[in-house]
Amino acid sequence: MSKIKKLLALVMALAMVLSLAACGGSDSSSDTSTDDTTTTEDSTADTEEAADTEEAEDATEETSGDATASGDVISLTVWGAEEDQTLLAELVEGFKEAYADYATFDIQIGVESESTAKDTILTDIEAAADVFAFADDQLADLVNAGALQSFDALNDALVAYTGKSVEDIEAANGAGSVAAATMNDTLYAFPMGGGNNYFLYYDSSVLSEEDVASWDSLLAAAEAAGKQVGMTLSSGWYNASFFIGAGFTTSLNDDGTTSIDWNGTSSLGYTGVDVVKSMLNIASNSAFMAIADGDISNQIASGSLCAAVSGTWDAEAAQAAFGDGYAATKLPTFTCAGDQVQQGCYSGFKLIGVNAYSQNAGSEYLTNEESQTARFEARQLAPTNTNAAANEAVSANIAIAASSAQDVYGVVQSVGGKFWDPTATFGEMIAQQTLDVNDDDAIQAALDELVVGVTAAVD
Amino acid sequence: MNKLKSGVSAVGRFFGDFGHAVADGDIFVKLSLVWFGAGYLGRKQYIKAIIMTALEALIIAYTVLVGIPYISDFGTLGTVQQESVFNPVTMQNEFNDYDNSFMILLFSVITLVVWAFTIYIWMYNVKNVYRLQKDQEHGKHVNNFREDLNDYINQKFYIVLLALPIAGVVIFTVVPLIIMIFVAFTNYDQNHMPPSALFDWVGLDNFINLFGGGGMTVSFGYAFIRVLGWTLVWSFFATLTTYFGGILMALLVNGKTTMWKPMWRVLFMITIAVPQFVSLLLVRNFFADNGIMNTILQNIGLTGFLQDIGLISSNYIPFLTAPGWAHVMIIIINIWIGVPYQMLIANGVLMNIPSEQLESAAIDGANSWQTFWNITMPYVFSVTGPALVTDFVKNINNFNVIYLLTSNFYTTTNQAMANSQAKETDLLVTWLFTLTQDYYNYKMAATIGIVIFVICAVFTLVAFNRVVARTGEGDFA
Repeated sequence: MSKIKKLLALVMALAMVLSLAACGGSDSSSDTSTDDTTTTEDSTADTEEAADTEEAEDATEETSGDATASGDVISLTVWGAEEDQTLLAELVEGFKEAYADYATFDIQIGVESESTAKDTILTDIEAAADVFAFADDQLADLVNAGALQSFDALNDALVAYTGKSVEDIEAANGAGSVAAATMNDTLYAFPMGGGNNYFLYYDSSVLSEEDVASWDSLLAAAEAAGKQVGMTLSSGWYNASFFIGAGFTTSLNDDGTTSIDWNGTSSLGYTGVDVVKSMLNIASNSAFMAIADGDISNQIASGSLCAAVSGTWDAEAAQAAFGDGYAATKLPTFTCAGDQVQQGCYSGFKLIGVNAYSQNAGSEYLTNEESQTARFEARQLAPTNTNAAANEAVSANIAIAASSAQDVYGVVQSVGGKFWDPTATFGEMIAQQTLDVNDDDAIQAALDELVVGVTAAVD
Repeated sequence: MNKLKSGVSAVGRFFGDFGHAVADGDIFVKLSLVWFGAGYLGRKQYIKAIIMTALEALIIAYTVLVGIPYISDFGTLGTVQQESVFNPVTMQNEFNDYDNSFMILLFSVITLVVWAFTIYIWMYNVKNVYRLQKDQEHGKHVNNFREDLNDYINQKFYIVLLALPIAGVVIFTVVPLIIMIFVAFTNYDQNHMPPSALFDWVGLDNFINLFGGGGMTVSFGYAFIRVLGWTLVWSFFATLTTYFGGILMALLVNGKTTMWKPMWRVLFMITIAVPQFVSLLLVRNFFADNGIMNTILQNIGLTGFLQDIGLISSNYIPFLTAPGWAHVMIIIINIWIGVPYQMLIANGVLMNIPSEQLESAAIDGANSWQTFWNITMPYVFSVTGPALVTDFVKNINNFNVIYLLTSNFYTTTNQAMANSQAKETDLLVTWLFTLTQDYYNYKMAATIGIVIFVICAVFTLVAFNRVVARTGEGDFA
């Protein structure tokens, strides 16, 4: 019951803020505001509906000098990753200043990793933060649970308050990142940072640029040097790269289920069995090390690797391990049915969303150009904002350059929750060589079983 | 069985007394049926009358304002789907007056508990005022309020002591438990997540699915049987190994020839002093595929030898990443974690064995094995037998060891298991955790929870009856 009360209180607070800001102390406004404070939730809503939209526009016009509004307090909770806390605090201060004319903000910043945001939010949507950061693979689940505010529905208000429309935001960010934040043709989040893909780190003192062009030459050179090449196979996020390269696709359906065609023939004419055989050949090479999911940093640091498939988050580990030889590039090609096929990847993005049960929409500020640049400096996250990406400091960064080079071959990760366990198991089967490279039927059967698991109904 | 009978007859007596009170009571007692305070008013216990009247008013207010609105939706768990329209003026979503299935379930259960409590109070109250009537008729002294209060810190002090714990158990254990049991009969999952969506009653569908009746993924029943099997195997071995391991360790440490006894005791206690999750995560990394243990074994050539004789196909020993290997390793690691606790218990018991029994055995020429098997063990078992039963049940739900050693670490290669989000090393309780935490499959988690409860309850009842009967624990009471 207290939750409803809280909701009611926030609705009232906001109604007061708006009516005060809107009419700048004219008689009619004070009437409205006193009415609002005494009426119930329903009648508050009625009053707002009855109010002309022009009031909102008035509000923006009068922002410059309306000091009366700053007496009111809007409480917001913002969740960001642990690493982002200091940055977030600065951004929030900036936000408070930029919008000080509308209201005084009481903004709480909480720690919630982008990768686990979904779990915490879905536990109790109404109690979750108003604005939160999350990884783009959680978008579908969050949208289906009704946790995310549609920004298209917010468009008018956004124009009124910030002078930017949803189209402006979409145009300011790369197409891939916008696609990752869009579901059912509706924008549900603002892209905050990209570069959430993987590429090849290598030691240029051991491997030449030609060596890292294909898995065959890479593994041969590594073996000659007595070192290994590491990659995680037991995760759908990584092992999908072979299938993506060969032209296979996954897609997310409206009901939350995943469509996957890995057991068939791809648009490029390869069969799933071809791809699995290529993977088995790579995995069986003694210079290949299958690394457990999440263990890559440790393995890079251990020094037994001369190359590893990972993302920007391991840049420091790779730099420390490879020293002067530190280099990064796009993923190699692999031999599939006799051809050299470029390995693809999933391109992930970090997004900022607004809780559909929230009272305010302030997340645009957190993702605009200055914020993205600041974020890059603090955390080496590749920015999605195209202006920020052109910045020299960004392109000079080896890891981010490699990430961008790989991004060309990336696809937006559109999979549902049931994708992960079956694909992880499939990758582990390849890593442990439980499939026989010559047994086409067994490989096909395993692929069919994989598809059954991935396409299973969400329950 | 006697306990059961006496329990039934106590309940029968309660209702019998109530009927008796209603039939023979005077006007005040009969009036108490509708007005809680009437009986006390009739005996001039005004404060009690006010308290009971206020309580009745409170219950009626709750029922009318909260109980009835929620419980009238209990049959459907809500019918109005949430819809929202964004209002650009207020910058917020405006919702219709939607139903929240979970709130309906929650408040319905609370209301049912309140009502059950009310019925008890109602009957108890009538009996009580009838007793007062009898006291008055027989010319006995009728307590005033102060004397009643005095009773509660003297003769009836146990009621005061127990009130808080019982209220706590009801509010924090019984109510959530009832709700979880109800959830097992709904379709509360990712697609039916309040407040955005409603969930509904589905009868026994979840249980049918769990036992392989189809509906969901085909492999759910298969995965359940596999997980259940490993749960029981694990509990058996984990309990037995730590139990005997602890006793042996205690014997060794307490042995006549053992030097520096306190030092050994302290050393073994260290695994208790270090938080379990720290030591378990360390051990997990220790035995990782590319961990220290594997590096050492590779360097001394053992890995190569195992590869040559065909025991492993990988160029590392999959201590915690392959079925079989992982199962054995988990039990072994659990011995290391669990033995010190058992050692502590056994230590105390061993010190209490009457020394004359051991001495007379020695005089009779018994060797140390015979002494252990015929004197020490029966004695230890008679004291720790019941603890063995609870240990087994604890191990069925031993979340820590399994989860910390295998979560995000062990990847199954069994596709049928993976399709049901299970792995070979999962216990029912860790599987349940994955289903709720990663897949929001609350309905199946609740169903599995009930199954775990049934297994534990049946085992405990049977085992306790046997063990307690054999060891004659009842005699001590």
